[in-house]
Amino acid sequence: MRIKSRQGRAIGALLTAGLVTVLTAGCLQQSGDNGGSSASGGADDGTVTIMYGFTDSSSDQFKAEIKKFTDAEGINVKFEPTPDFNTVISTRVSGNSAPDIAIFPQPGIMKSFKDQLTPLTDIVDKSNLDKMVPGIVQAGQIDGQQYALPMSLNIKSIVFYPKGPFEQAGYTAPATLADLETLTNTIKASGTAPWCFGIESASATGWPATDWIENLLLIQSGPEVYNQWVSHEIPFNDPKVVAAADTMNKLLLTEGNVNGGRQSIASNNFATAANPMFNTPPACYMYRQGNFVARDGGFPDTVLSNLDSTVGVFPMPGQTAADKPVLGGGDLASVFNNTENVKKVMNYMASADFGKDWAKANGFISPRTDFDKSNYPNELTKQMAGFAYDSTSFVFDGSDQMPGEVGSGSFWREMTAWISGSEDEKTALDNIQASWPAS
Amino acid sequence: MTITILNALIAVVGGVVGAVVLYWILNKLTELLPSKPQELIKPYVFILPAFAALGFYLVYPFFQTVIYSFANRNSTEWVGFDNYTALLGSPGFQTTLINTFLWILIVPTFAIIFGLIIATLADRLRPTGEKISKTLIFLPLAISAVGAVAIWRLVYNAVPANQSQTGVLNAVWTLFGGDPVNWWQISDGKLNSFLLMVILIWTQAGFAMVLLSAAIKGVPTDTLEAARIDGAGEGKIFFSIVIPQIRATMLTVFITVLIGVLKTFDVVYVATNGNFGTNIIALNFYQALFVSRNAGQAAAIVVILMLVIVPFLIYQIRQFRAEEAAR
Repeated sequence: MRIKSRQGRAIGALLTAGLVTVLTAGCLQQSGDNGGSSASGGADDGTVTIMYGFTDSSSDQFKAEIKKFTDAEGINVKFEPTPDFNTVISTRVSGNSAPDIAIFPQPGIMKSFKDQLTPLTDIVDKSNLDKMVPGIVQAGQIDGQQYALPMSLNIKSIVFYPKGPFEQAGYTAPATLADLETLTNTIKASGTAPWCFGIESASATGWPATDWIENLLLIQSGPEVYNQWVSHEIPFNDPKVVAAADTMNKLLLTEGNVNGGRQSIASNNFATAANPMFNTPPACYMYRQGNFVARDGGFPDTVLSNLDSTVGVFPMPGQTAADKPVLGGGDLASVFNNTENVKKVMNYMASADFGKDWAKANGFISPRTDFDKSNYPNELTKQMAGFAYDSTSFVFDGSDQMPGEVGSGSFWREMTAWISGSEDEKTALDNIQASWPAS
Repeated sequence: MTITILNALIAVVGGVVGAVVLYWILNKLTELLPSKPQELIKPYVFILPAFAALGFYLVYPFFQTVIYSFANRNSTEWVGFDNYTALLGSPGFQTTLINTFLWILIVPTFAIIFGLIIATLADRLRPTGEKISKTLIFLPLAISAVGAVAIWRLVYNAVPANQSQTGVLNAVWTLFGGDPVNWWQISDGKLNSFLLMVILIWTQAGFAMVLLSAAIKGVPTDTLEAARIDGAGEGKIFFSIVIPQIRATMLTVFITVLIGVLKTFDVVYVATNGNFGTNIIALNFYQALFVSRNAGQAAAIVVILMLVIVPFLIYQIRQFRAEEAAR
């Protein structure tokens, strides 16, 4: 027995491996009913755990804002901020230790936990939701039922410009998309690149480019087509999307239209890409980005300290002057374990009182159209919030709603490949379409 | 905070005491048997807890992974070989495989070459000089891969031409009149992959140096003297006397670095996130599991990774056995 041939041993090993495989082969998970998530510890002692993905000063402001309410109510709150939210939340949910409230930055991830989440029908007063910007409320719905509450808002279809030089040169905010193209060509003719652009964002490189495509599709084809595209009722590479990419190509990727040239886009960080705009003379005149670049970590400190006198904004214009579609995003609060205290905290987050101090600290825009605008620290923020409140349609960032492999995978990757010139536009869009998961 | 520390203490004390008590009880139980079967059984009783731990945490997950690789994204239905055919058919994964092969060939080789050069040269310095130079070369090993990339970002960074360059390479390049180059975007001839490999070689060369240096010092001086008396030059001595005697160490270093390379994920994740054709297999696995949330495909990638590693492991074990036998 002891002395076996090599083949003998190999066969033995194979047999053992095969046996174990067969024995454990029945071990696939049961589909659907994972249940039991409501049985986690937080439900009993009245403590409310809140998990969210923002850190540093945003986290501190958020905590302070929540504590104002919970300290008065005598509710104990446990905050669990994590920079790696998407990964941590999925581990926690599969490990049956979901937080009571999770604040999702992306509706797509929120929707993948449909079976574990509690619908908000009996938790959040409908009157609160009715006061909010309509598009963002819909982003929290799955099949028409409300699963998430918009906690904050960000507005992505904003074009920033350096106020002084822009006005001195005689440029004016365009009223239509055609005007924007004219303005682009006028600035280019003056010898300066019209646009600042950068899509580098470490492991999330590419997302600012997805916002551009989404924004142009929304402007050119309207919110219905946009939502069909996001939910994949029309293919990703539909001719309407190709048209949006063509427009982006014309505005940004034409030789001489971007500061630093096309090759610099993929290595230029999105948060600081606009900084050359504030050189004298400006190296570029326009930067389309979310309201958050006008905060710490974005524009240079000297600009941030005199925001209203140095920075101007206009919304990405519609096809006509009356058309004011806005692309945005926001944080969505969902409930895993419903208790009395959770309900109180959720309704507080939905109220017009939530976020006053946070807004004053230049970190928050409320999704409620009746939020007191005097809380915003500067004219710029009031203007930007106004774009959302006065919009003719507001849609949620599409890549955040698409399945992970597209929305934070192939869409980012292929846009980066296209912009850096290693793929053409058609290949990129076709590849994203091909990567859409089957089911 | 105090609770955390207390918990840690309880865990450490409880773990150690628990293990002692467990072995004591097992020992007592076997001692109840008559002496003949006791002798026979005792070794197995003592090896059992370790074996069980290995089984639960290594062997069982291994088979479970193989099984999941034949199931769908939520591991709820069988899909046969779909995950494998989809992977091997996608151009993205083919690039990943090619890159992975380049990484496992180039990084260990150059880590050894540099480690060997440094070890040989440092060997000829005076003791203080040797200590200082070796410490400096060894330092990068203590830096996490993420930190290393952050450092090398300062080398490779590219900024539009009208701003001052923050990357060393481009600062020099533009000084001689060139336009700033986005080094990490140039996939021609896999240049960007090679530039990323440099980072890992930089951290691993120190590791190779330490082991190789010890091996070089272990080469018997009488063999070197004999060669010198016979009139061999330094080059001849190095290649014909030293290298053959440290071959075993070189192999160990090669395999160790190689296995480290196969598990490398952070360098590429932080630098390019696999864009511009730089993806490697461990990062691809992460993306499949945590970005696409496709458990089936992620498991299939791991199985492929395992298939790639196994031949190297077998080779190393064989080599190790041969060494033992020769001794």
